[in-house]
Amino acid sequence: MNRDELPDAKLQELAQRLGVRAAERLDVERTAQAVVTRLRETPRASVVTRLWMQPAWLKVAATVVLLLGAGAVTRGLWRPPGSAAAGEAAAAALNELTTDQLQQLLEIVDQPTEAAPESPADASLEDLTAPQLRELLRSLEG
Amino acid sequence: MPHAEPVAAVPTDAALIAAWQGGDEQAAAELVRRHARALARFLASAGAPDADLDDLVQETFIRAFRGVGRFRGQCRFRTWLLTIGGNVLKDAVRRARRAKVVPLADELRATDGDPHERAVAGEAEGRLLDGLGRLSRMQREVFLLRAQQGLAYDEIAAALGTSPGAARVHYHHAVKRLKEYLS
Repeated sequence: MNRDELPDAKLQELAQRLGVRAAERLDVERTAQAVVTRLRETPRASVVTRLWMQPAWLKVAATVVLLLGAGAVTRGLWRPPGSAAAGEAAAAALNELTTDQLQQLLEIVDQPTEAAPESPADASLEDLTAPQLRELLRSLEG
Repeated sequence: MPHAEPVAAVPTDAALIAAWQGGDEQAAAELVRRHARALARFLASAGAPDADLDDLVQETFIRAFRGVGRFRGQCRFRTWLLTIGGNVLKDAVRRARRAKVVPLADELRATDGDPHERAVAGEAEGRLLDGLGRLSRMQREVFLLRAQQGLAYDEIAAALGTSPGAARVHYHHAVKRLKEYLS
């Protein structure tokens, strides 16, 4: 018979034989007692301990989520309403600039400037404060 | 005429789980007695080396008992246990890889099993083990749950968090690839 024609039944029969000998070698009673002993000896982990026992990527992801969440809350509390819209409008304007123009702009905004505009409704580059511009430029560069 | 002895009712898995949650250690031991061999068979077929089998079985039960609150009867306890076993094996492979320890090398026991065992097990079984080692984890687990444990696609899907249709597709891909490999 061509091996390509191996029927599913044959494959199933083979699969059912797999691991049988290894399983038979297992001392089930000893395993049961070992499990009970381990359950008794190691108290249930606290939530913090369980979190800490997770794989590294999960810890990193959890940390990032916490930081982002905290950042979002902080920004929401501290940023004046509408500043996000101002940032977006300015970002659109910045996209039109060349690298040299951006460099010049960075030099300018590194110098102290006046206070931020009160209303961001008609926001443009001129309306942004130095820190806002700096942040924007770095995000575009990065 | 003598009366027949009443047959003692065998507690269900659900009853044993409830008893364990109530603090009955012997209920946990009974669940281990009931499912350890099926779990060992599943793990060995999925590539667990013999030397680590007992540890992996123990670890799987420990995780299962610790997390039994998450078991909502979406599938049978044994099926749920087997999927935890799959996670335990995956973690062991990852740890071994990180520590650069050889026994679990090549991710699973695919090609470096005990030669004596391989000889006894027969060429076809050895080849099937190799082939299983080359499948994706999902394909391997679906194949074993279906072909070895005889579970329905609904049950497999509930245990692995997928749909019955997707489980069926994984199974057929696994069979196709295994047949290609075995031919």
